[in-house]
Amino acid sequence: MHWRKMGRRFLFTLALGASLVALPAPGWAASPVTIEYWHINSPTFGGPALKELVSRFEAKHPDVKVAEKFQPGVYTGLMQQLQVALAAKRPPAVAQIGYNLLAYAAGQFPHVILDKYRQSDPAFFKGIPDNIMALGQFSGVQHGIPFGVSTPVLYYNADLFKAAGLNPDQPPQTWDDVQRMGQAIKQKTGKFAIYLQQPNDDWMEQTLIWGNGGRPLSEDGKRVGWDSPQAIEAFQMWQDMANKSKLAANMTWEEGIQAFLSGHVAMCITTIGRQEHMRKNANNFQVRTAPVPRFGNKALATATGGNALIIFATDPAQERAAWEWIKYLLSPEGATIWTKGTGYLPPRAEIASDPTYLKPFFDENPLMQASLATFPYAKPWVSFPGPRGLEITKIFIKAREETLEGKRPAEAILKETAQQANALLPR
Amino acid sequence: MPFARAQVARARWRRSAVLTGTLYLMPAALLTGVFIYWPLVASLVLSFHEWNLVSPTWTPVGWQNYIELFASRPFWLAVVNTGKAAAALTLLAVLIPMALAAMVLRVSPQIRNLYRVVLFSPSVISMAIACAVWLWIYHPLYGVLNTVLRLVGIEGPRWLSSGDWAIWGIINVTVWKSLGYNFVLFIAGLLMIPSEMQEAARVDGATEWQAFRHVTFPLLAPTTLFVFLTTFILAPQNLFVPTQILTHGGPNEASNNLGYLVYQLGFEYFRAGYASAAAMVTFLLFLGLTALQFYLAERRIHYES
Repeated sequence: MHWRKMGRRFLFTLALGASLVALPAPGWAASPVTIEYWHINSPTFGGPALKELVSRFEAKHPDVKVAEKFQPGVYTGLMQQLQVALAAKRPPAVAQIGYNLLAYAAGQFPHVILDKYRQSDPAFFKGIPDNIMALGQFSGVQHGIPFGVSTPVLYYNADLFKAAGLNPDQPPQTWDDVQRMGQAIKQKTGKFAIYLQQPNDDWMEQTLIWGNGGRPLSEDGKRVGWDSPQAIEAFQMWQDMANKSKLAANMTWEEGIQAFLSGHVAMCITTIGRQEHMRKNANNFQVRTAPVPRFGNKALATATGGNALIIFATDPAQERAAWEWIKYLLSPEGATIWTKGTGYLPPRAEIASDPTYLKPFFDENPLMQASLATFPYAKPWVSFPGPRGLEITKIFIKAREETLEGKRPAEAILKETAQQANALLPR
Repeated sequence: MPFARAQVARARWRRSAVLTGTLYLMPAALLTGVFIYWPLVASLVLSFHEWNLVSPTWTPVGWQNYIELFASRPFWLAVVNTGKAAAALTLLAVLIPMALAAMVLRVSPQIRNLYRVVLFSPSVISMAIACAVWLWIYHPLYGVLNTVLRLVGIEGPRWLSSGDWAIWGIINVTVWKSLGYNFVLFIAGLLMIPSEMQEAARVDGATEWQAFRHVTFPLLAPTTLFVFLTTFILAPQNLFVPTQILTHGGPNEASNNLGYLVYQLGFEYFRAGYASAAAMVTFLLFLGLTALQFYLAERRIHYES
């Protein structure tokens, strides 16, 4: 009977399909150990450097193979894929977690706590400055190793400065300077003075709060810090520049960067990671960098961008291999390749001035100097704790957006939104 | 008894026919079952739980997700914005292509094809690329749109970063994107109308507009209904990509909409249960509105058979 035959064939096809879907990847424990490494390094952002790191590491460690896997959508995209992999119980051995997502990942995802390596590898921990190592910690526990480190800097259009009768060798040092010079730029050239980056994250906002002596989150982690007097003052300044003096351009991130590159805005605050892009795409003007402006005589302080490496491996052999891989990535050799390939700062400060490592690179890339000068003042890019942490970040971003709309004073907006956010923090 | 034997044979044949039919249906039924109906059911169940996509357990929370949703400002803003978008889309993305199709059919055939290509081209471009193009058209300082407006003495708004305008910036991209496809549907619909009817109307002394209004438009009604319904149903989905690329729902939720909100709750906040509740409400809302439209429209449409 033909239907029976067909049914059998159909069942067979089904079974075959199901087995293909369900077939587990072979997980032989025998050598060499293969570890999966998830990253955001596209071919135009560090991809080639990563390939070089993998081949050099594998040459030194013949017992380990690194399967590097690019994840699109930057850190948020990687997190989404990671959620899926963890749900399927097949996480990568190591993954890059953006600092802004670190508290969420550390709190919600099973991973390896790294403090146990302090005894076995004291030299490794000593090689990295404390303020940098702290970027991978929560309440004193080392959840990840800081790998990508970047700071915001002030990019400026030297030609517009000259056209406004300003000396491009003397960029603004404080926000008062920005306003004074900005008025000159606006009057003489008719251009916007400054664009502070407005992407879908809160890096700029945290930099302003740190810079004015506040904290994005209270030390006990129970209250957000954006309703503090320092934060309110900083946000009010930004609102006034956008709405009253019209010195600051208020537009989306892509629009703002493009407006700077096409010479319509004289200054732009964004990550040092864009230095090559800025240098290559500046339309007929000389682009220079300076540290982010300070608030009066307060010390420089900026939120730190980039990522930390977290180990998700559950198998001991994989975990060991993952740790070796992390140690190599942060070794002077690894960090040199990484910095050259991405523009991230080296997590070890000393190799920046070492002629065998990064001195030639920094000499050839003067735009990097402003970021290097900011490095000692790098503060964490606070990732809000608890299962609702990501929503808190979004509330903060929305508070910035409302502030720049200029319909209510910054204080009212910040106090109201801080209250909403505090309710979502873990008690 | 031959009768009984025939009956048995017929019953057997019928049984085997049912089985064969079922088997033929299986591939399609399995696919829609696995990829459409099962997720729908799973989403319904999930909407009464809390789950972060990673934890091995779904924590039951009863109606809590729905209660939170109905009390949240972003949800109501998204409802209002989706309503605005659906209204604007069903109006603009139906009327404009209809008018364009009627006009294009009046020009000489050579130019007609050129128009067809030009007007259909937005449908072929991927939405992500189209958004990149619109990003430059919308640029507040030197985008084409505001530059043209400035020529006629209007200072254009910040299309993507102003709370009052961002949702219109998104809606406009979506309308533009669906124009071409709807235009082609209307062309097909218009060509199906027998030309004798037009001619008869003209012989009777009807003006061009009268002929359109009283002959073409009623005969086009089935096409119009189809375009209207598909545009409306797809509205929350078609808003997603421009929202994701151009505004992220901002500034301050001003361009958020139901499609994007569901994504945001599920994949930015990793609250799968809460996102499912939002998805369920969206689903029911559009199911109800579509049923209502069907009911109202069916009674007024004349099908030419």
